[in-house]
Amino acid sequence: MSWIPFKIGQPKKQLVPKTVERDFEREYGKLQQLEDQTKKLQKDMKKSTDADLAMSKSAVKISSDLLSNPLCEQEPGFLEMVTAFDTAMKRMDSFNQEKVNQIQKTVIEPLKKFSGAIPSVCVAVKRREQTLQDYRRLQARLEKYEDKERTGPVLAKLHQAREELRPVKEDFEAKNKQLLEEMPKFYSSRIDYFKPSFESLVRAQVVYYTEMHKIFGDLTAQIDRPGLSDEQRERENDAKLSELRALSIVADD
Amino acid sequence: MASAGGSEPGAEDAAKTAEGVYEDVMPCDKMELSQRLAVEELITTEASYVHNIQLCVSDIRAHLQKKQLPDLDLEGLFSNTDDILHVSKRFLKGLEATATQEHEQLLCISALFQEFKEEMESVYKIYCASYEHALLLVESYRKDPRLQEEILETLNATVPHTGASDLSFFLVMPVQRVTKYPLLLGKILENTPPSASAYPALQAAVRAMAQVNANINEYKRRREVATKYNKAEHLTLRDRLARLNTHSIAKKTTRLSRLFMHEAGIVAKTEDREYDDLEEKFQCVVSSVAMLKDNVASYLGHLEAFLLSAPHKRDLQIDEGPAQQYCHLAEHLHCTVFPEFKRRLERLVCQPLCSLSDMLVGPQQLVKKRLDKLLDYEEIQERKSETGSVTYDEEAAMNTYLAINALLMTELPRFNQVALQLLGQILCSLSALQRDLAAQVLHRAEKELEQLPHGHVPLPSFWKMVEDTLQQSSTQLRTFCQTFETVTPSPVTQPLNPAEERKVLSLVSKHGPDKLYQVTSNVSGSKDLDLTLQRGQIVALLQSMDTKGNTSRWLVDAGGTVPEGLCLLANSSPIARYKASSLGCRCQPRRAAQREGDIHMRHLKLPGPRWPPSAQLSRWSLASPSQPGVRGR
Repeated sequence: MSWIPFKIGQPKKQLVPKTVERDFEREYGKLQQLEDQTKKLQKDMKKSTDADLAMSKSAVKISSDLLSNPLCEQEPGFLEMVTAFDTAMKRMDSFNQEKVNQIQKTVIEPLKKFSGAIPSVCVAVKRREQTLQDYRRLQARLEKYEDKERTGPVLAKLHQAREELRPVKEDFEAKNKQLLEEMPKFYSSRIDYFKPSFESLVRAQVVYYTEMHKIFGDLTAQIDRPGLSDEQRERENDAKLSELRALSIVADD
Repeated sequence: MASAGGSEPGAEDAAKTAEGVYEDVMPCDKMELSQRLAVEELITTEASYVHNIQLCVSDIRAHLQKKQLPDLDLEGLFSNTDDILHVSKRFLKGLEATATQEHEQLLCISALFQEFKEEMESVYKIYCASYEHALLLVESYRKDPRLQEEILETLNATVPHTGASDLSFFLVMPVQRVTKYPLLLGKILENTPPSASAYPALQAAVRAMAQVNANINEYKRRREVATKYNKAEHLTLRDRLARLNTHSIAKKTTRLSRLFMHEAGIVAKTEDREYDDLEEKFQCVVSSVAMLKDNVASYLGHLEAFLLSAPHKRDLQIDEGPAQQYCHLAEHLHCTVFPEFKRRLERLVCQPLCSLSDMLVGPQQLVKKRLDKLLDYEEIQERKSETGSVTYDEEAAMNTYLAINALLMTELPRFNQVALQLLGQILCSLSALQRDLAAQVLHRAEKELEQLPHGHVPLPSFWKMVEDTLQQSSTQLRTFCQTFETVTPSPVTQPLNPAEERKVLSLVSKHGPDKLYQVTSNVSGSKDLDLTLQRGQIVALLQSMDTKGNTSRWLVDAGGTVPEGLCLLANSSPIARYKASSLGCRCQPRRAAQREGDIHMRHLKLPGPRWPPSAQLSRWSLASPSQPGVRGR
């Protein structure tokens, strides 16, 4: 403000009590923190759902690549197994897409909206700050005149300074009060705001995994033998590998 | 007593007693004697053989094992001598049992050989195939004084009566034994009259054991060929160049030209339908294994990315309610369920796939080599048909091709079949893993669902409810935003200095008083032609769009300090309306009017009745200079 004739002085009187200022800082700080965390949460959610989609797509690729391999044409037993597998994977992928869409709608969008609303607080806080600066400046000027010798012109200026100060002070106090009331309200609104999102997150996963359990339960019943433990499976795999290793055409390492 | 199986009268039989058998030497008895001796030789040598092998396994090997010498490859030396011991022990028992059979002994012996021939073949072929390698080991240990000392010490401790100074004394025994069987049997056969009832059986037994030996040799040769060619060669360019010599170049050139002639149809390819089908199937196995391996790796990669992003770790400071349920569930999934899934996936899918993939190398090499050798073979065949004879090397080359071809024809079908079975097992595991994953997630998720306020609401109404609630929240948010936006910018209450006054007057004269606006907070320009203005500065608004028609920036005149005199002001900059009373006198501060359009929403783009793009400029108006104190327009 280079054209302002007066140097901005600091008033001697403490305009804003320390406790009020501290409260203000704290509330504002909480909101800033909340903005930061909601933005990060949104990003993490996006990353998580992207990875989820990619995982599902690559699972489908496992089965569809096998299905298109000529090996399936030659081996009817293998073909049957791979076809069943492929069907299962594709169905799961479509359920996964539904789940991700649901999450996008009920979690990521609301997050975006919420974090998008917070900057309006910042603007309001800035305006309050500006008003405070004006208030301070005018207060300092008033004090300057108050300190001077009470001559006629000085008295006139003093009166005018008081007149100018009054609306600015009222303005500031109004802004301050408003913000002090609204900021905590806004902050605590987050709890109710996000309730449906979190419920939705849990519910969507229950829906998805219920389907997954059914589909793969059926598939396993169709192509696999029941009740095999991991150790048994490993032993069977090792047995096949040993059979192969016993062949002369397979190199020993 | 050996049964002669002949037409000897019972009287003579009765006359001969066990004691008298050696006294009656008649011409046909000489044969009988030799036969009996041969049979006894068979049995006694078998007994001593078994005894020696027993010493080998239980004493010598065990003794060496106890010494725990790290440089001693016991497996390489002794191979499967314990299997040989088991088979031979049982065989010996069978042989000794035949001694009581009298007339039937020869038949029993023949039958015994037939019974054991397969087992012997499978057990001896392994031993013989690795015998050369064992000899190499013995030789190398002989050169190591410390090991040699240990070996000698063992031999002296366990078998001093043999006076053996070398392990090869014992190691050669199985090789000798299996080749001896046809000879021993042959000796019995030659001393058996062809009319004897056991003769055909004996003959068959001799042939069988000869066949066993032939098979063992064939197996050994194929193993050698396989081992020679089934390794992938990791040669550097330098190595490859070093290998080039006139011979190798000539060989490769010949092959290449032959291949070319095949492809061009000039020379007929040796069609081997059966092999081609086999190889085709093998290549399918190769490609499906490679593909599956890649796809599983990619799947795992995405799983890891999924686990890395941990949204539940973000803290919105919500300590109760559904957020907690979500966090518990997500934490459980990330820390327990998914890592377990990953671990099982690696054990049951990735590892076997990798091992299978490694095993493909050998057969692939052999397939390649077979083609090379086939080209050589065809070349040599042609020459043979022209000249009628081939050199020793050429003969060897042809045999190599035949060996590789036979090897592949025998073993590829088995390879393909087993590989396919393994793939099937892996797919089954994958399916079971997915099912188990779902089960584990549900186990926890359903518990958390119970605790949610709307956990029991059926699905369609649940989603409707969520949608409605979110709708309401959205509206509430907007209300909040509006509240904050009513915290309006305050007017700037500075009087103007003379320089500023002059500038303002010039702006007024240029553009008119109704175009004046005042900046309510500092603006810094970022793009070209953007202005940097201080709070309180007066500018004239010329156009509510920039030179390109973009309404997000306004064209203002900031008073001649910029070359063109005109610059752009981003309309998101905060300029507010200011009403000053008069020029030259104290400007009275006045609360900014709450006129629609003056308040700029910086971040929220709400749909609404025509909010003008930039409302941060506030009108700055003049009252007529002759009327001090008059409030603005």
